[in-house]
Amino acid sequence: MSICGYAGKILRLDLATKAATAIPTEKYRRWGGGHGMGAALFWDLCKDKTITDGRHQANVCCVMTSPLNGTIVPSAGGRCEVVGVGVGMYPISWFTRSGFGGRFSTMLKHAGWDGIVIEGKAEKPVWIDIRNDRVIFRDASGLWGKDTWTTQKEIWQMVGVPRGTKTAWQELARLDKDKKSAKDEGRFTQKPAVLTIGPAGENQTAHACLIHDAGNGAGQGGFGAVWGSKNLKAISVLGTGSIRVADAKSLIRARMVTKEKYVASSERPDFRAWTRLGTLPKPIIQVPPPTKDRRPQSCQGCINGCRTRYNVGYGNESACQETAWYGPYARKVAKNAAENTEINLKAADIVQQYGFNSFVFQTGLHWLEHLYEEGVLGPGRKIPSELPWKEIGTLNFAEKLVHALSTKTDIGKDMADGWVQAAIRWGREKDLETGALQFSYWGWPEHGYDPRAELEWGYGSIMGDRDTNTHCFNQIFTSVSAAFAFAMPIRIEAEEMVNLHARKLSPYAKGRPEVLDFSDGNMYSEAVAQLVRWQQHYCRFWKQSALFCDLKWPDFYNTNTPDLQGATASPDAGEQVFWNAVTGDKLSFEDGIELGRRIWNLDNAIWVLQGRHRDMVHFAPYVYQTKFEKGELFPFYMWPCRDEKGEWKYTDLMGRALDKGKFEEWKTTFYRLEGWNRKTGWPKRSTLEKMDMTFVADALQAAKRLGEEEA
Amino acid sequence: MHDEKDLGRGRISRRQFLRGATILGFALAVGADLILPGEVLAIPNSEGFLLVDLKKCQGCGTCMMACALAHTGVASYTFSRIQIEQDSFANFPEDVFMATCRQCQDAPCVEVCPVEPVKANKPNERFGNVRMIDQKLCIGCQACIDACPYTPSRVQWNHVIERSQKCDLCVDTPYLGEPGGPGGTQTCVKICPENAISFTRTMPNQKVEESYFVNLRGPAWGKLGMTME
Repeated sequence: MSICGYAGKILRLDLATKAATAIPTEKYRRWGGGHGMGAALFWDLCKDKTITDGRHQANVCCVMTSPLNGTIVPSAGGRCEVVGVGVGMYPISWFTRSGFGGRFSTMLKHAGWDGIVIEGKAEKPVWIDIRNDRVIFRDASGLWGKDTWTTQKEIWQMVGVPRGTKTAWQELARLDKDKKSAKDEGRFTQKPAVLTIGPAGENQTAHACLIHDAGNGAGQGGFGAVWGSKNLKAISVLGTGSIRVADAKSLIRARMVTKEKYVASSERPDFRAWTRLGTLPKPIIQVPPPTKDRRPQSCQGCINGCRTRYNVGYGNESACQETAWYGPYARKVAKNAAENTEINLKAADIVQQYGFNSFVFQTGLHWLEHLYEEGVLGPGRKIPSELPWKEIGTLNFAEKLVHALSTKTDIGKDMADGWVQAAIRWGREKDLETGALQFSYWGWPEHGYDPRAELEWGYGSIMGDRDTNTHCFNQIFTSVSAAFAFAMPIRIEAEEMVNLHARKLSPYAKGRPEVLDFSDGNMYSEAVAQLVRWQQHYCRFWKQSALFCDLKWPDFYNTNTPDLQGATASPDAGEQVFWNAVTGDKLSFEDGIELGRRIWNLDNAIWVLQGRHRDMVHFAPYVYQTKFEKGELFPFYMWPCRDEKGEWKYTDLMGRALDKGKFEEWKTTFYRLEGWNRKTGWPKRSTLEKMDMTFVADALQAAKRLGEEEA
Repeated sequence: MHDEKDLGRGRISRRQFLRGATILGFALAVGADLILPGEVLAIPNSEGFLLVDLKKCQGCGTCMMACALAHTGVASYTFSRIQIEQDSFANFPEDVFMATCRQCQDAPCVEVCPVEPVKANKPNERFGNVRMIDQKLCIGCQACIDACPYTPSRVQWNHVIERSQKCDLCVDTPYLGEPGGPGGTQTCVKICPENAISFTRTMPNQKVEESYFVNLRGPAWGKLGMTME
């Protein structure tokens, strides 16, 4: 088996004993990389898989790369996957995942490591200093209490790397004055790649992030709290090595094809191209940029950066959700658009520096404001809070709110274990029934893609472990709804849209466009179950193990090509082309989906050991009891559906609730298709053995949680 | 003094010369036609140069990895002949710097190469006089690295083979899959997703460092809301 694309070893850290050892990557090669390898490492090394809070000392956190990291695979070179038991979910914090971009995974591989396994708890705060093969446990007492940006800058200084650019080559061996060896370890011009927690993580609060550089964050999962519970402040990596690829010539050619064929040309710009991979560089920020003096900024190897750096001194590298969490409030107090932008981007800086996952504010802050306006929350009220609620919308309030939630002060004390937990503590369970608190699944907020409308998002989240945050199909909604909202041309009509998808939905739904029909008559169908399966399996391998970026892949349709076909699964620049060029494998696109199925099954086995049963797989009550009436982005939710004549049309999906009974039937269908027991949702031995996962079946049987075989 | 219009392909500037002990070796290396009257050897001008747009680079490092891949089949920051430096906590435009070899007219890295009788670092007359290091001849003294007047040095140290290396405009790129060099493809130019690197046969003003920094932003860039200045 080829080891091209891999560094060859995985770093295992025991924080309790300050031991650093190496695990041969070859042992876990069958799982590909990223999530697959991380889940397999967790399976082997976590001795108590019944834990339900990631702050438990038995928890094992894996930070994993992919063979594609640090290469030129478009929008796959810079992602990094984090797995372990999470924090802040409800009713159980599952074994879960998060991802972040930047250059950490590249540097880690160039330092000679395919991943890091973190076990145990350090006696005192530590940070880890990795310089190629040398791994040093360093005292973090001087860093504890500092924000994520200050921490990184101080670590750069401690490592001996100057700030700024136009810096000279440095010799790695000479950085360490205590080092006796005279071996030449190579030179570098790059900054150490640092992954760190801020105050939110140190205080082990729910929804604490891991932050790298200014704006790369592993948000969901609460892994910042996991690190905090282990007294781990940061990991810094400097690498001067390299990664050999199997077929560099093919890799370069495929990358060129991607640029020339699938990406919008700057010479003949199509500013409104419908594609995920091939847009022009337009950073995803939710407010007008504060200045034109800026650049696009990207992760390692990206085909088109989604972030930006400005000359104004704020908002650098923040994108998407973190630039919008404060939007509804800032615009109430801002005197003009410029001030609105400034407040929003500075609010983004605040969450980055505290290492706090602003995603929970998306629907959560509406709830807190509602409680304040209802007279329940505030100074001297039932839920006491001394935060300046009258100033909501100001930067001062944003800072104080994030501070409180990051330091377990004020209402942060009650919210440290999660928002749904806080609602229960405050006697506000009814808010999950009315929808005042729109935390749809597993204690996570609704994403703006409501489960009553965008089925694959909601169904995928509840069948998994978290808000799925996988945009495989979601751009249909955003592209089409935006076209309707702003009277822009519909670039691809509904029937062609679903057919373009169906061509690439191998193996479960190839040639079956009906899997995308989210109309009332089809929303609980076997077809939709196949779509959800495809998404979960695709993502578990191609997106979360091979680490193709969620914002760029899969590319189903692409108006930059004459036949509108996107790069996904294509013979010239599909995912499998890049994987094979790097690793030397002969993997088909469908082989990758099958690998994803195995990884998905391993995840489900861990959830089952943690206590999952189909009886607990439910959305929050409001999803069944109230209709979806108010969209986060648009006043309608456009999606391709078949009408009564069977003709495809873009249709508004607002105005409906999920039928609980019918959703239960859909779950049965889903379990049947997955080969899981329909009554319990537990994997069956026959299913696992067909995937060469007998060891999983044995473990489930020993725990008396193996799914019964069915006719 | 160096009017770009006066510097035709392969012409020799009399300011760029070598004297003394290295003359014979250099003549052997680059050809007798480089011997000027009075036994002065000159370094012929490179016929190709890389230009960069410091405000357009997105810092993806694709050029770095592609450079290392095209030359050696490995992806690496350290072994890339182009270096993109970034400070995530600095503001635009000081947050990114693109360090490319300038194929200098006076080529201090060539001048200082002590290898005799044939220099390891020399213009390659078969490929437009690109300043190249023949790693079979390189003795690993690193004099060329020290001689490069720019920071970071545009000549790199390859610690694995203990030899120097530098940008050759992709002349020696066994993994590129197409001809490189001044008449062919430069990997970084072709692969850059933002087209922030370009190739020119016109020698930039050697007295002005900024002459290698150009504006490659077309009209689309302005329409995307980014500076054209």
